[in-house]
Amino acid sequence: MAAETGTPTTLTLKSNDDELFSVAESAAILSVTIRNMVEDGCAGGVIPLDNVDGKTLASVITYMNGISAIPADEEKKKSYRDKFLSDKDFETLADMVLAANYLNMSCLMDAVSAKIAQVMEKKSVGWVRRKFGIENDYTPEEEAAVKEEHKWTFEGVETDDDN
Amino acid sequence: MLLFLITCSFSFILFYSPLFACEMRLLSLCFWKSIKNTLFSATLSFFTTRMLPSKKIYAVPKVQRTAFDTNSGDQMSVLDYLPDLVLETILEKLPPKGLCRMGCVSKSLRGMCVSDHLWERHVRSKWGRVVGTSAYREWLCSAHSRNQDSIFFDRIGEKGFLGCLIALVRSRFCSVGKDKIFPPVNSVMSWYIALESGKLWFPAQVYNRENGHVGFMLSCYDAVVSYDRRTDTFLARYPAHGTRTSAIESGVTWDRLRAPLVDTSPHDLHISDCLNELRPGDQIEIQWRRNKEFPYGWWYGVVGHLETCDGNANYCRCHHSGELLPCFLSLHKIKISYFFGDHLLINS
Repeated sequence: MAAETGTPTTLTLKSNDDELFSVAESAAILSVTIRNMVEDGCAGGVIPLDNVDGKTLASVITYMNGISAIPADEEKKKSYRDKFLSDKDFETLADMVLAANYLNMSCLMDAVSAKIAQVMEKKSVGWVRRKFGIENDYTPEEEAAVKEEHKWTFEGVETDDDN
Repeated sequence: MLLFLITCSFSFILFYSPLFACEMRLLSLCFWKSIKNTLFSATLSFFTTRMLPSKKIYAVPKVQRTAFDTNSGDQMSVLDYLPDLVLETILEKLPPKGLCRMGCVSKSLRGMCVSDHLWERHVRSKWGRVVGTSAYREWLCSAHSRNQDSIFFDRIGEKGFLGCLIALVRSRFCSVGKDKIFPPVNSVMSWYIALESGKLWFPAQVYNRENGHVGFMLSCYDAVVSYDRRTDTFLARYPAHGTRTSAIESGVTWDRLRAPLVDTSPHDLHISDCLNELRPGDQIEIQWRRNKEFPYGWWYGVVGHLETCDGNANYCRCHHSGELLPCFLSLHKIKISYFFGDHLLINS
């Protein structure tokens, strides 16, 4: 393994739209997927990440560098994560959670999922359907019955055309 | 001999391959390794590396589209390619309200949102401190009987034999349809909603609040309580006592409530199994009531020394006296209790 030479090693990651990124190995191995590749000795050349686009990968690498620079202090790491995710829109968060799953980064996945849940918390049923592209397979009667059953959960929801 | 063993191991694989394929493969692998190390290191290592490449699975679905790209023309739902783990992780982070509402999005999501494991955490964190396991057991029993009742009542609503038959068929259909939309009556989600909606009255103990006096505040009474979501407090119904009928107190705050520690009725003395182990300084709770017409309350106290003992740890034999051990209820000096064998008497 290259780390044994004592000099910091950089890995080259390639997104699915052929963008190349250099990242320190010590930061990149936050991803279990990449760590396994490094341990298996197959991280020598360019590491292709077929499921992550360039924009998302850039964000993930920013996170990798940021979080690995923080020593073992869970409080500081948490506040870094909060700050890092605070300005991301829903689409970016959604891409990031999929990338985190693909790269097997549990800490990022947990943080992004929590942020997504926080965004979804106040959103209407219609908003979730639109954002996730989910078809409503309830009959109107069934939907009315379900909503009636959980009427209390609709308090404080952001108003929408199709609540 | 070695050759014989190798053949044996292969014949094992042949015989048991459908059932024990994995274990046997592992066994034969170990076998190969040990042989490799002793005899044929060079040759076999070549073969093993060729034949058994180290397998690291990068468990990743091959998705050839940008995530959450719902404007790409086709009508494929995100749910179709969103890994279950990701969706589960998001659902786990949703608070109860959000989880219920997600269930209103579609039937397939509904199926995931009613899962017991998602709700267990919510039940534990919100209700764990105030609801006892006996309350849950009781609710489960009544949930089962309610389920039976609803089918029964559906049926007897119709007239005559034919009516019964139609109602039977209809109730079957209804219950099938309901199962799809509503969580099962005995699910953890139903349990959470029963508590949250305030429809359920459950047994709990309510701490006294008399004038903020610590001696009283550390005592509590059995009651049945129901949650009031709007005020985030509870209604408490106390059993009838003395000449009073059962009283209801409103606005009981969370900090005044706890789950009953024992299942004993407030009208019975709890038979404790640890009276003989008590030592001076132990913190205990004892039952006390004004007279027979009142239910017992639970009072906090500290076990004290006998009057003949000066409290010196080297000479104290209070716990050996067996029969008589005074107990001073915290800051409530007129009460002194005595333990006689298994029974607890209060001298007031």
